[in-house]
Amino acid sequence: MIRFENAGLSVPADDPQASERVVLAPCTLALGEARIAVIGANGSGKSTLLRMINGLVLPSTGSVNVRGFDTRSKAKLVRQNVGFLFTDPLSQLVMPIVSEDVELSLKASIKNHDLRREEALRVLDSLGLRHLAQRSIYDLSGGERQLVALCSVLAAGQNILVADEPTTLLDLANNELLQRTIDALEQQVIYATHDLDFAASADRGLLVKDGRIAFDGPAPAAVEEYRRLVRSGSISA
Amino acid sequence: MSASHRMLLGHYQPGNSIVHRAPLLAKYLLVLAVSTSVLLWRIPAIGLGALFLSLLLFAVAGKRVLRAWAAPLRQLWWVFAILAVHQSLINSPVFALTLVSGMFAAIQCGRLVLLTTTQAALLAGLETAATPVRFFGGNPETIALAVALMLRSIPAIATSVQGLSDAAKARGVARNPAVLAAPLVINTVAYAQRTADALAARGIMDRN
Repeated sequence: MIRFENAGLSVPADDPQASERVVLAPCTLALGEARIAVIGANGSGKSTLLRMINGLVLPSTGSVNVRGFDTRSKAKLVRQNVGFLFTDPLSQLVMPIVSEDVELSLKASIKNHDLRREEALRVLDSLGLRHLAQRSIYDLSGGERQLVALCSVLAAGQNILVADEPTTLLDLANNELLQRTIDALEQQVIYATHDLDFAASADRGLLVKDGRIAFDGPAPAAVEEYRRLVRSGSISA
Repeated sequence: MSASHRMLLGHYQPGNSIVHRAPLLAKYLLVLAVSTSVLLWRIPAIGLGALFLSLLLFAVAGKRVLRAWAAPLRQLWWVFAILAVHQSLINSPVFALTLVSGMFAAIQCGRLVLLTTTQAALLAGLETAATPVRFFGGNPETIALAVALMLRSIPAIATSVQGLSDAAKARGVARNPAVLAAPLVINTVAYAQRTADALAARGIMDRN
């Protein structure tokens, strides 16, 4: 279970007239569903909300707890529980060869190099990516890169996956492949997306608007509310 | 980064040749031996011999590696040309040949290490070499990770340069390096920020 207790983030304002800018207004949430979609316009605060879950962003007010671990004081334990998938896979792939990057995730848990390599290949195999093991990350397609990034995250064995717009850079085929892969995971998955069909398939939907949770409920209803706000002009480009 | 740029830098080419399987220490000793020889004995036989040796080793390492042999010539031929002309004028054509061939051979041996060794093996070697830093409170894994990130940033920054250059060209702006410098610095800082986020998210910073 992930708990936001009055957690919010304010930063110093660019405007000298205002003292601070609210990036995410204080909110209280209990996130336990297997699939939670976070939707909203660009810059609405979706990424901030997601980043708070694994302590990449710390709340300026309140607290965020993951399985009882506070993201501020127990960041290491939180990250052992929460994996994070970024929009751009090249941002998170550190090693140049696919298997090496997966091995990097396993370095803390498996010290023996041969065993680590075996496990990396097993994890790649589980997502049907073993044939990419020796490929350079620079030679992969966008979809393959994102799947490899997912593999590297999953290799660490966390039980919660947070994905920040994982399908944004993908073409239709890779988009659907990644969605199917995420659907099949045992982990709890919380994802931000602009793909409203993908969002509607979740168990719960959070609509973020101007740094506030504007809707929290069934995912199809969240998508419908988002569409209504855009049509009414409450959310504009 | 384009494939040719990666070839130039010495991007790992998978293979199972004797060169690929040779211990990292043996490869480093080869680089040391060739570099020292061409530096100490500036005679054509040594320079050309080292160059032939590098070509032979590239061939033994397989077709993919051999194809990469000429990459520095294709892209940096003008540097070698300037050096050769300059040395011919101030010394002699024979000296120019000795210097350029020796220098090229040393570069090639260094590239051979990168082309035939996985980054994981290079970092494992570096970690072993950096073990003594533990006596001073350092962490060899952190040093190896820092080097890995440095190597990783080369293609990322090269891609950024290419992108900015293309954007400038598309907008009809002259590709003045000074004009590209500011956005390049901003892109590089943003890239560093994203990398730090990714390392933190993967818990890699927590264990180093």
